[in-house]
Amino acid sequence: MIQRLLPFFTLAVLFVGLSLASPYFLTGTNLSSVIRQTAVINIMALGMTLVIVAGGIDLSVGSILAMGGLMGTMAMEHGLPIQMGVAIGILTGGFWGLANGVMTTRLRINPFIVTLGTLGIVRGLALIISDGLPVHKIPARFSFLGEGNLLGVPFVLWVLVVCALGVHIILEHTRLGRYAFAIGSNPEAAYYAGIPVAFHTTAVYAICGLLTGLAGMIEASRLMTGQPTAGQTYELQAIAAVVIGGGSLRGGEGSVLGTLVGAFIMGLLSNGSDLLGISPYLQQAIIGAVIILAVSVDELRKRKLGA
Amino acid sequence: MLLELRKVQKRFGGVVALSRGDLSVQAGQVHLLLGENGAGKSTLMRIVAGMLERDAGDMLWQGRPVHLKKPSEAAAIGIAMVHQESLLAPHLSVAENIFLGREPMRGAGFVDRGRMLRMAARLIEEHRFPLQPDWRVEKLTPAGKQLVEICRAVQHGSSLLIFDEPTSSLSESETREVFRIVSQLRERGMGVIYITHRLEELRAVGDSVTILRDGATVHSGPLEELPTGEIIRHMVGREITAIYHRSPLPPGEEVLRVDGLRRRPVLKDISFSVRAGEIVGLAGLVGAGRTELCRALFGLDRYDKGIIHVAGKPVQIRSPRQAVRAGLALIPEDRQRSGLARSLPVSHNLTLANLTAVSRFGFLRHSTERDKVEDFSRRLRIRAESPKQRAGRLSGGNQQKVVIAKWVFRGARMFLFDEPTRGIDVGAKVEVFELMDQLARSGAGILMVSSEMQELIQVADRILVMRRGRITGELPGAASQEEIMRLAALEEAAGGELLQ
Repeated sequence: MIQRLLPFFTLAVLFVGLSLASPYFLTGTNLSSVIRQTAVINIMALGMTLVIVAGGIDLSVGSILAMGGLMGTMAMEHGLPIQMGVAIGILTGGFWGLANGVMTTRLRINPFIVTLGTLGIVRGLALIISDGLPVHKIPARFSFLGEGNLLGVPFVLWVLVVCALGVHIILEHTRLGRYAFAIGSNPEAAYYAGIPVAFHTTAVYAICGLLTGLAGMIEASRLMTGQPTAGQTYELQAIAAVVIGGGSLRGGEGSVLGTLVGAFIMGLLSNGSDLLGISPYLQQAIIGAVIILAVSVDELRKRKLGA
Repeated sequence: MLLELRKVQKRFGGVVALSRGDLSVQAGQVHLLLGENGAGKSTLMRIVAGMLERDAGDMLWQGRPVHLKKPSEAAAIGIAMVHQESLLAPHLSVAENIFLGREPMRGAGFVDRGRMLRMAARLIEEHRFPLQPDWRVEKLTPAGKQLVEICRAVQHGSSLLIFDEPTSSLSESETREVFRIVSQLRERGMGVIYITHRLEELRAVGDSVTILRDGATVHSGPLEELPTGEIIRHMVGREITAIYHRSPLPPGEEVLRVDGLRRRPVLKDISFSVRAGEIVGLAGLVGAGRTELCRALFGLDRYDKGIIHVAGKPVQIRSPRQAVRAGLALIPEDRQRSGLARSLPVSHNLTLANLTAVSRFGFLRHSTERDKVEDFSRRLRIRAESPKQRAGRLSGGNQQKVVIAKWVFRGARMFLFDEPTRGIDVGAKVEVFELMDQLARSGAGILMVSSEMQELIQVADRILVMRRGRITGELPGAASQEEIMRLAALEEAAGGELLQ
């Protein structure tokens, strides 16, 4: 039980430690900026949680994020209203998630390979469509999504809360979520139980795609550009957030709360290093070490349980 | 004497696999090793081949005591095994496999490929095997792979060759080919140990015989002097300890009717029916097609031909989903792999096949689910710390009950039990039998596959016997093990002359 709470504990220690170590940490501006910085990874990681619970993996989310942001901003550039642009960005992500799901289930290719493939395909297409150039002509009001405030807190926090609640409800309170756990825990047993495994696996990838599309729009709003090169290596951070939060790459394990904690641990590590003047090169190494540490502690716990 | 084993013992954890294994094999002889499933034949042979270490007893090789710890040590003194499942490297060629680990070298660590191919060709030629040295092993049939293993054994200078059920995956003509090769090896003065399940093969190849039962050697001697009836008695002749007795019900309507079911090459023209309240046993040896029949009925494998009726209605079953919808349930042989989501709670496993019953518009109703889980856990006497306990942490018997409960909750009408008592202790076995009885009493039909003939005799109302993909006969529940064994192991045509 103590080990299960370890990620929460770590987050709390980091929070208190940083409050003591730096006078700038516990300021409204800094905390808002942590939330804004982690929101993108956080929302992607929520989708990734679903995929990982169902025993899959999605390496293409970084590319899908760029494609979503690009399509959304291009729509605005062509005069569509902001809401339409955001919707287009989200749906673009959903389309590619669906494509990932269909390919893993229909062609029966390992999702690692499928999404490694789409990682390249989607990035390549984004670069072709944009000719490698970012989209700049975006209505100024679009910045509200990533940079605005609502009721005194960053707007993205509201978006994140809604997404987190949504994914939590899917995982814990719907048939889809239950099936995702079953498929991830033992796909053969799920199939033997008469569950439509392919359909639900595809659905999970599609939802991951939609959330990634949304994250792409937030990223575009923060940068106020549609970047075809956005989101590179974000997939690794999203996966890291899930596994730090107790998700298992073997499937059948993971939770929204765990993933949020995982993403915020990484966010605080990086924010704290900035505040304390630790070199960004060292930051990467620290985060890497934390991933290995978190997962090995979790493995130890599971081995003790013997399940 | 080439090989002699005296009072060899082997246990795995608490399970005694071999309590007294005696065996002596002479050079230039084919020695048959017989016994039921689980009698200890494979364990004994794995000890001889150095794949397992014995716990006690003596092993003499050409008169000298030996203690083998690794397969390579067995190979070094001249013992080789042709496995049931091929242990070859599939992507390498025939020649590369024959010489694997002993490639002819031309100094400095380079393989002399030319010489290797020539040597392999000579070896194949000598035995008149239908092989080419440069064929890739993955393209070969099971029989072809066995020939490669034989070549490898001969090339390594083995003087004792062990065949572990060589014909279980072979066609009739391939079987004849294996017999030809075995007698050829005998003429060259090699010793051969031949494990088999199939009594009709005996006379064709064997010189002498050792029969194992429940981990102990019960008979050893020349084959000629031993009538087949005597062999069967030795194989099954343990005392029947009745652990369960069921009083049959008057059977109701037909729940399952199968007409002319075929799936090449494992199922041939299978027809039978199961009525409500009936427990029908399905007996047969390994490879007879019992599991394949369950798989085809449950939509895991396609059938080529045949009509299936469930509760009087014709149904098309092409996936487990369709089978489940039709009212079928499969309690699979390997419940760890295909029956349970071990990392999930007992409750999730129990409701998995029928989540619609505990949800509304796709949303789960947790309180309803909790009530149902409690109810069914109590009814099926599942002993778990709590419904949240991970299914993988339950005992084998309780795991099996969770799998059964899943289907009861789904409201299945026809249950296919594939080896339902495998890996669970005696007390739990009785509980599983009682559950099956309860199911039958509540109007379900049950088909029960078991390799334990006593279990079938105790539990089933009637017993179907399969052999090589066919149902070879039907016996009343009170049949004797000898009757079952005859139908399961003997060639119908040859039956008359084999039985003395």
